[in-house]
Amino acid sequence: MITVTINGKKITLEKQVTVLEAARSAGIKIPTLCHHETLEAFGGCRLCLVEIEKIPKLQTSCTIYITDGMVVHSETERVVNARKAMLEFLLINHPLDCPYCDKAGECDLQDLAAKYGPTTGRFAEGKRTHPESYDDPVIVRNMERCISCTRCVRMCDKVQGASAISMVNRTSKTFVEPFSGKRYDCEYCGNCLSVCPVGAIMSRMYKHKYRPWYIDKNINTICSYCGVGCSVTAQVKGDSLVRVVPEMGKGLNKGLLCVRGRFGYDYVNSSARLKTPLIRRNGELQQVTWSEAFKYAADRLRDIKERYGSEAIAGIAGGRCANEDIYIFQKFIRGVLGSNNIDSIANFSYAPAQRFFERIFGQGVTANSIQGISNSDGIFVVGGDPTSINPILGLQIRAAYQQGIPVITVGDTPGLKRFATCMLKPNPFTETALLVSLLSELKVKKQFLGGNSSFERLINNISALSMKEVEDICGLPTDNIASAVNMLSNMTNPSIVIGKDILQRTDGHINLLLLSAIMYLINGRVYLLSEFPNEQGLVDMGCLPDMLPGGRPIEIESFKKRYEEIVGLNISSTHGLSLSGIIENAYTGKIKAIQIIGENVLSNIPDSNYVGKAFSNLELLIVQDSLMTETAGLAHVVLPSLSWLERKGSYTNLERRMQFMGKAVEGDGLEDWRIISEISKMLSFDMGYKGLEDILSEIARVSPLHKDITYNDISGDECIWPYKGEPLRHGVSLEGMDVPDIGSLLKKPAKDRVYAVFDKELFHPDSLSRKSAAISSISPEPCSRVNRALADRLSVSEGDYLNISTDAGSIEMAVKIDEDIPENVVMIPNNFEGKGIFNIMQWKLNPVLKCPVLDGNEVKLKKAEARS
Amino acid sequence: MNKTDGLIRDIRAIKEKYQSKRAALLPALYLAQREFGWLSPEALEFVAEALDVPKASIKGTATFYAMFKNKPVGRHLIQLCTNVACMIMGAERLVDLLRDKYGIEPNGTSADGRFSLVIMECIGACDTAPAMLINEDFYDNLNKENIIDILENYK
Repeated sequence: MITVTINGKKITLEKQVTVLEAARSAGIKIPTLCHHETLEAFGGCRLCLVEIEKIPKLQTSCTIYITDGMVVHSETERVVNARKAMLEFLLINHPLDCPYCDKAGECDLQDLAAKYGPTTGRFAEGKRTHPESYDDPVIVRNMERCISCTRCVRMCDKVQGASAISMVNRTSKTFVEPFSGKRYDCEYCGNCLSVCPVGAIMSRMYKHKYRPWYIDKNINTICSYCGVGCSVTAQVKGDSLVRVVPEMGKGLNKGLLCVRGRFGYDYVNSSARLKTPLIRRNGELQQVTWSEAFKYAADRLRDIKERYGSEAIAGIAGGRCANEDIYIFQKFIRGVLGSNNIDSIANFSYAPAQRFFERIFGQGVTANSIQGISNSDGIFVVGGDPTSINPILGLQIRAAYQQGIPVITVGDTPGLKRFATCMLKPNPFTETALLVSLLSELKVKKQFLGGNSSFERLINNISALSMKEVEDICGLPTDNIASAVNMLSNMTNPSIVIGKDILQRTDGHINLLLLSAIMYLINGRVYLLSEFPNEQGLVDMGCLPDMLPGGRPIEIESFKKRYEEIVGLNISSTHGLSLSGIIENAYTGKIKAIQIIGENVLSNIPDSNYVGKAFSNLELLIVQDSLMTETAGLAHVVLPSLSWLERKGSYTNLERRMQFMGKAVEGDGLEDWRIISEISKMLSFDMGYKGLEDILSEIARVSPLHKDITYNDISGDECIWPYKGEPLRHGVSLEGMDVPDIGSLLKKPAKDRVYAVFDKELFHPDSLSRKSAAISSISPEPCSRVNRALADRLSVSEGDYLNISTDAGSIEMAVKIDEDIPENVVMIPNNFEGKGIFNIMQWKLNPVLKCPVLDGNEVKLKKAEARS
Repeated sequence: MNKTDGLIRDIRAIKEKYQSKRAALLPALYLAQREFGWLSPEALEFVAEALDVPKASIKGTATFYAMFKNKPVGRHLIQLCTNVACMIMGAERLVDLLRDKYGIEPNGTSADGRFSLVIMECIGACDTAPAMLINEDFYDNLNKENIIDILENYK
């Protein structure tokens, strides 16, 4: 116990903290400028000076630690005079352009000058000048206002790990600049502008459009981009959105954001927003009233059900819809339309992977806290770059590395290049052989005997590949593999971060088994990367062809019966078609009608040509979306749904944490659940919901996992799996798990061929962010990546266009040189309309997971003709 | 390219001597400055690559220290002291001479790119003032006559 006295108040603390922290814990305010709770103490601004008895000089309270019996005074005349002097120095060069500066009203310097500042300065010389920088599309730098507190630089170096900016020059000519001195070459996370205490680094998105004191409402919500689910606050003036900002220290992101969360929110006001319902007449989508649209949709659904039966109807749910929407959707498709053909993109590897792990390790095995990553003693990343798919989760990995925790990556992870202890970059699509080798070496290292359980026996049956063989197949040096094995075997509490790319493969199911075995051997905690904010919700709310809400198998009579009783509708007990089955059956003409909510299927599934043909065969395609998409463009009925920020609801993130999203503004359209219940009413089943509470209370009754859940629980911090409910209990079941045929893995990819690899890049991982003007201004067009040798062979240089073709089609795309990818690979994103890797792929499914596979796409490359 | 091969080798050798790669930054920048003539953006990127330190951080360091050149300099760098002892012994007349004869302003470069002039604050040769450095060569007891002879050795 340490007792200190600050301003006469006795404070007793268990831990040795800084004087500043001790004061703040007791509600005593000490002013700071360079100090920030997310950053290490710096002691640069001298504003937090305090007088400590028995120490002659004033001390910076942010860097000095308390000792027992210490007596501190934070507001004596001497301290106040010192602060006044420091402020006078800072104001020598500060332009004092507060009436014009956006920061006024929430500026630390302004507040401190008002409290302590001298009314006049003694410095008669002119102030320094430095032109405001508009080199960046979304960030404006005004370095005349900069007080050199270095918060932004420390944030960029230590927390974001981008190291894109630094303090350049000396003395009063010190400014914050990126290397180029002009435009940033970084991840555009904008965390630099969150920590700037003055108006030196600001967002251009709301420049001169608001004053902080005019904001009427702050609405807490959850970012709608990825599966992390960062907390953000939407600020509203009157009935219009002013800006979306993070709140420092709040949410699982603790106030940090990535580029999409910080700048991407403007898609809500995109010109692609749907405003009125549309019906296709004479081949064209025409505006109609809501009642016409409801009636038309209901009549056509009834007609198709009568003519072809329920099995000819299917539903596809989207990962950005709220839990309440997708619950109602599965109820509608199952109960009202009588079809279990309901699925979502979550079933393309996220849900099967989770289910697979749960079969071996038990329920809830993927429910791990993101913050826990930096507390593990090793990290194994495979199947995607977490810093672009789930950037805030990626930051945890960077933080762990900076603490000296070993990080092993497999594949192309550009965002972890400076944060990986061991990078394994096998030849394209040879990860299976690498995983077999890691597993067999680990078995030896860990002296694995393997007779204790059926899973151990299964692991034992996986035969080994020697490192030499793997060197040959994967093109990886043996010592590279050996050092990875060494690190893995020394970990006691590791995190395993798995992206979808390793699963969406011809051998994806084998990779899944191998990863489970490795996880078993090193006792790893698993994290499944997720591109959608509610991918887990799709699983939990029963948007699966074989599962009811709460993860209950539909074929089990008691679950089915309970569901029917509560919902008041009869359902079928046979498994429906999975997403790939729905599309194949639409292609062959067996599925006649599909209803889609909030998913741009045509863009987000390979191959677009096949999916497009399948959809064109349909007699009825109903699309509910807030934006006009490629998929909506093919629909017979388009129903505008409310967008994020315009409706309340809940999301379940990749940690299986439920979070509440608030409503900030009004919008055109209706909630998805309301649209569905209106159609249902036309089909003579009145769902009778008055609001979200009714839906949640039904979910709480239907889903044993969500038993007794309320919005109070969801709005709290701790609504994590298994909530207050009961997960399904079952034993380990290894039925149908195949031991891989090692012989078949001994294929080497042909050297003289070039393969297309899916690039989930940071700015546009899927098709939503392109609707954000801000993100499109940072990254206006898709870009492929090849290495120098391949570029030379094709005689292309950076900025040229590349013609990429397969039997399925061809696309043209700008090219970037990246030395870190293999020579026989071209990285292609899938984010802009008609210009993605999914446009040139063949429809090919993994035999077990039934998801489209991304491997083996051989491409022909040539330099595109000069563009006008 | 051959010129920089040696530089990479030298920088990597320095890097080996330190526990942290950032500690090798100052000596590495000196080597790069000698090779490139000044710390151009290319030179900084080169050091960033060789040391594996982010280039923005390197720019911060390179622009902080006065003895790193952040703009191009002539083929030969004259660093002439005009501090008290040298001033008394006529260093300022030497500055005038350089301006008249070679057209070099303090902190400037002659039109032909032959010389750059930096005015130094004491190079520790007060007993033999005035003194100067040309590149890394030291000269003292300067006067209007011998300085021209010395400069003629640098083409």
